[in-house]
Amino acid sequence: MRETMTRVAQVTGAMARAALWISGAGLVLMTVLIACQVFWRYVLNDSISWTEPGSVMIMGWFIFLGAAVGIREGYHLSFDILVHLVSDQVRDVMRTLSDLVVIAFGGGMVVYGAELALNAAPNVLPSLGISGAFDFLPLVAGGLLVVLFSVERIARRLAGLPTAAFGEAVAED
Amino acid sequence: ETTLKSSDTHPDGYPTVEAVEAMGKMIEERTDGRLCVEVYHSAQLGEEKDTIEQTQFGAIDLNRVSLGPFNNIIEETQVPSLPYIFRSVDHMHKVMDGEIGQEILDAFKEHDLVGLAFYDGGSRSFYNSEKPIKSMEDLKGMKFRVMQSDMFVDMVSALGANATPLPYGEVYSSIQTGVIDGAENNWPSYDTSGHYEVAKYYTLDQHLIVPEVLVMSKKSWDKLSAEDQEVVRQAARESVPVMRELWVAQEKKSEDKVRAAGSEIVTDIDKTPFIEAMKPVYEKYVKSDKLKDMVARIQATE
Amino acid sequence: MELWVLFGSFVFLLLLGTPVAFCLGVSSFATILYLGLPPVVVFQRMNSGVSVFALMAIPFFIFAGDLMVRGDIARRLVALAGAMVGHLRGGLGQVNIFASVMFGGVSGSAAADASAVGGLMVPQMKARGYDVDYAVNITVVGSIIALMIPPSHNMIIYSISAGGRISIADLFTAGIIPGLVLALSLMVAAWFVARRRGYPTEAFPGAGALLGLFANAVPGLILVAIIFGGVRSGIFTASESSNIAVVYAMFVTFFVYRSLSWNDFVSATFAAVRTTAMVLMVIGCAGAFGWLLAYTRVPATMVEMLRGVSDNPIIILLLMNVVLLILGTFMDMSPLIVITTPIFLPVAVAFGVDPVHFGVILILNLGIGLCTPPVGAVLFVGCAVGRIPITQAMRTIWPFYGAAFATLMLVTYIPQLSLWLPAQFH
Ligand code: NA
Ligand code: NA
Repeated sequence: MRETMTRVAQVTGAMARAALWISGAGLVLMTVLIACQVFWRYVLNDSISWTEPGSVMIMGWFIFLGAAVGIREGYHLSFDILVHLVSDQVRDVMRTLSDLVVIAFGGGMVVYGAELALNAAPNVLPSLGISGAFDFLPLVAGGLLVVLFSVERIARRLAGLPTAAFGEAVAED
Repeated sequence: ETTLKSSDTHPDGYPTVEAVEAMGKMIEERTDGRLCVEVYHSAQLGEEKDTIEQTQFGAIDLNRVSLGPFNNIIEETQVPSLPYIFRSVDHMHKVMDGEIGQEILDAFKEHDLVGLAFYDGGSRSFYNSEKPIKSMEDLKGMKFRVMQSDMFVDMVSALGANATPLPYGEVYSSIQTGVIDGAENNWPSYDTSGHYEVAKYYTLDQHLIVPEVLVMSKKSWDKLSAEDQEVVRQAARESVPVMRELWVAQEKKSEDKVRAAGSEIVTDIDKTPFIEAMKPVYEKYVKSDKLKDMVARIQATE
Repeated sequence: MELWVLFGSFVFLLLLGTPVAFCLGVSSFATILYLGLPPVVVFQRMNSGVSVFALMAIPFFIFAGDLMVRGDIARRLVALAGAMVGHLRGGLGQVNIFASVMFGGVSGSAAADASAVGGLMVPQMKARGYDVDYAVNITVVGSIIALMIPPSHNMIIYSISAGGRISIADLFTAGIIPGLVLALSLMVAAWFVARRRGYPTEAFPGAGALLGLFANAVPGLILVAIIFGGVRSGIFTASESSNIAVVYAMFVTFFVYRSLSWNDFVSATFAAVRTTAMVLMVIGCAGAFGWLLAYTRVPATMVEMLRGVSDNPIIILLLMNVVLLILGTFMDMSPLIVITTPIFLPVAVAFGVDPVHFGVILILNLGIGLCTPPVGAVLFVGCAVGRIPITQAMRTIWPFYGAAFATLMLVTYIPQLSLWLPAQFH
């Protein structure tokens, strides 16, 4: 069980790494787009109308992918006072319970994100000219990873491997 | 007893909010309190694009929205959103109260919505901080904030100006500092946004006279008995004159206020070159025979 | 009943240790199921809650801050502050506060300020014979200044939570004087504590050395001028200024200081992604939570309740400050801004408070909450930097809490502190 989990963790670790690289590239791309928006408007006196919705869409990707990776790495904000006051067994039960509700929520992101995407699919997004479904794809993709990484947490705990604890990785405001 | 939840992005006391509340009173009286209406104003439940989805899914029952967000969803709503399609507010009333208006309301049905009534949205005109705009020549190269819609961006470009996308909350300081030269809106918004303080030249070119619409969720509609449906439909119809009266008063109040504050209003412009410049816009957006026919009928309406 | 489901499940999950973002999301999910409404709304609100252009300032300012810390801009600012105020009583403590003013002018994050300024100052202070708790306390409370002096992404979060209709440029401008008042009152507190404990002063390094350090820090300092000048002269908007900060920080660290390696750049990018994703996920989920609050009419009920308590704005403001301070001890800043703005702002406005003024009160109040246990990100950073337990910091932090609280009262009851400066630009 432990060995299997260690091997699984290599795969999920690679996925988290990939998600981080995609997100980081998105952040840099966004920086370039908005810088162009300012340059075009102020220097060339010609406004671009797609940079704004375009970067908002990129932001959606790195928020939801990044939030999912945060589950694996434990960098989400949390209120972990009670967790420190109870015995190890109770703590494991609490953490597993918490992972289960997060799985339910991740499932919601996938299912209802897909419903929203289908509903918006026939519409055309202003300025971008692409299907409205694209608005909701980051939500679906992020949800999938949220479910995956939370399941991994439970599996690791069952296998006796450590999981990242929320609140211990220092968070910024 | 059922409470119909209604969304509006305008603040409490705004004509559209009051009209829906007046409609709610009629419904309550005529159903002996079985049905009432509760308005969530000031975009409490979200911006229009979002509340439209919420209405489609049945999370809210009624929704007062502009036609703009529907343009990419329901083809027919593009027609009244075309620049300079209406010669005047009266012309718009005549068209929307008639069979063309009904055709557009009917088009909502395919999108899980029931179109109930059209309200006034006033007429939108350009204002800016630089100079009184009297001709298309004056607009050349100026930067205007418009709503995020392809048609409006194309309209501004066709007039020779620059359409600049900006969040609404940044428009005031952006005009003030010169990021943009101006924006466009109706009298009440020109007033309540405070934009008149920084953009004192208002040119009444009335490029857009777009009505707003009151829709109901198809899901909520189907839950009502046939009688109650008729009560709702009738009350919505009767709320229209209420709304129009409130609107005129609101416009007058805003106009008086900004005039007193020293805004320079340009009223006497020749709109013909503006209208002629819209040819490419009409060619791009009025493609199907259905829309072409509708445009022709509107232009033929006296 | 639905409010019990909403708040009950929220508190339950919070105690369970579930990340705050998911506490907000799951309790909204549960409540919408309870109400029998389509759950799709929760996920729509979450998605549109983060699909807002002005929110882009958050990743950008955080990214810029990471680049500045890794690329040596922060260190040079601190060195300059040392030369400028080091000769005052409690010299390095004063330097620490003054450095927050300068770093605050380029960064909007209190935690970034605590780690940047604290990371540089605390070891120096230790070496010069200052008690570590004094160094940590000043670092922690001083970093609230970064929230008040523009840029501040929390001001942007506030503007958006208020429906996006409050000018971000005005909010930025409004924070300046309160930020300086806070710095001043903290410097006074630092002076008194230093006198009681007999801390040394530093020698004034002389005009020549000062000039040298100034020249060294100029590229960093220019950013303040670029951001403020750029916004006020119409080259870019307040939210776009965050982008300029990133571009400029890259330019300075890559080409002027040549202090940033490719690896530094990659790790700064990842750090920014992690922090941003965390903050914005909270904002997104709070969007769903806020929808349910509005749907169940919580804000309106709150206004009614407070109206019943008193019709005196002075008392109402005090009451709101107390509630916010209490909430601030338990929760972090950005989720609280998104949750409380839709509830409290209508109350404040109903009692005649200007929304810009209220924003400044809110940010300062919740900024204090960042420095208080049990949940205080900045306190944690400060204690980690100084390697002392939180209890040790807590014993002697009170004069600084006192100074911050006094500033909060001044800012609350003297609206002109916030509103005078923005009015000069109208
Ligand atoms: Na700052
Ligand atoms: Na706290």
